[in-house]
Amino acid sequence: MRSLRLALVLLFLTPVPPAFAHKVIASVYASGDVIEGEIGFSNGDMAPNELVEVFDEEGNKLGETKTDGDGFFTFRPTKPVAHVFKSNLGSGHVTTVRMEADELPDIAGAAIASDSPPPQDTKPEETTAAAAGAADETLTKAQLTLIARAVQKQIIPLRRDIDAYKEKNDLQGILGGIGYIFGLFGLGFYIAARRKMAGV
Amino acid sequence: MHIVDGALSNDVLIGGAVLAAGGITLGLKSLPAEKMPAAGVLSATFFVASLVHVPIGPSSVHLIMNGLAGLVLGWAAFPALFIALLLQAVFFGFGGITVLGVNTVNIALPAVLVYYICRRGLASGSPTVAAVWGGIGGGLAIALTTGCVALALALTGDEFLAAAKLTFFAHIPVMIIEALITAAAVYLARQVKPELFENFAQSPSQGVSS
Repeated sequence: MRSLRLALVLLFLTPVPPAFAHKVIASVYASGDVIEGEIGFSNGDMAPNELVEVFDEEGNKLGETKTDGDGFFTFRPTKPVAHVFKSNLGSGHVTTVRMEADELPDIAGAAIASDSPPPQDTKPEETTAAAAGAADETLTKAQLTLIARAVQKQIIPLRRDIDAYKEKNDLQGILGGIGYIFGLFGLGFYIAARRKMAGV
Repeated sequence: MHIVDGALSNDVLIGGAVLAAGGITLGLKSLPAEKMPAAGVLSATFFVASLVHVPIGPSSVHLIMNGLAGLVLGWAAFPALFIALLLQAVFFGFGGITVLGVNTVNIALPAVLVYYICRRGLASGSPTVAAVWGGIGGGLAIALTTGCVALALALTGDEFLAAAKLTFFAHIPVMIIEALITAAAVYLARQVKPELFENFAQSPSQGVSS
């Protein structure tokens, strides 16, 4: 009896891979000059230490990254193309999430304009001067970056809420599904009964 | 348990769809009108069961309840589970439309196997013996389903043993819970509505048993 209890306790303490929690959720968003993303399951578990592969639209591999302990990953884009993130979590759980080219973070956007060199100069003063010369802006590049950061910071929790909301199974859906099932079987019953009546 | 869109190769998807269509046809043929309400209720049970999360250690699992459906319905489990899976895919995004056939086979085929393995036990005179067989059926259906899922993944390219092990061990808690629930359900049914199983013994699926 004792050993049975011990075995049960051990069983419940064994780290259960979350791979069977039915649905994978992934989201990506631009943050500064990197793409940040999260991968998790619909029951709230995150997917730690999973390989995330990044492809462009044609399926060419752009690179890969790994999720950390909280299912969080970052990827630094180098090409101004749509990015497709794929991850295989095992047991038939694969996920694909896509980021369009115009949603990409700053660095790739700048790469579209200047086309060849990566514009990470770390000398904001010069670019500011150039930008101010081109268009009479009163804001400096540094201020613009600050604003962009602040806005992103505000938006990220909203995005998470929206992602979570999309995955929510509300009572309406559940009751609707049950209603469909009963309706379908009721229809089947009706047809079967009619056939029986016709046979008699 | 639900394989999602994009995880399997086209060959496996088509094979699964063909098998599922065959199973559904057989099931519809063996489904007498008197059994139809029971099929509807079990279909709804399966539909809702996946939303019931049972916390296990740091994670949680969801119930499947294909064993009970198989024990009561036999081949008719195919159409019942197919409809529930279709609605789960549409309403909750579990699995997907293209993998519907494979998922149906993965979940309904074990249910049918369990029916053949356990039906003699269920017909036993003592409700306790029947409940034990019900429990065995409930647990076995999950174990077989993990095997089917692993097989579907293996046919696509994953290594069978690794995939099977991962899915099987992850589902041990579900097997235990479902065995208990199925045993309780069978015991209750034997007490209050014994004809649920007996009726069925008199109207077996055509052509397979006589």
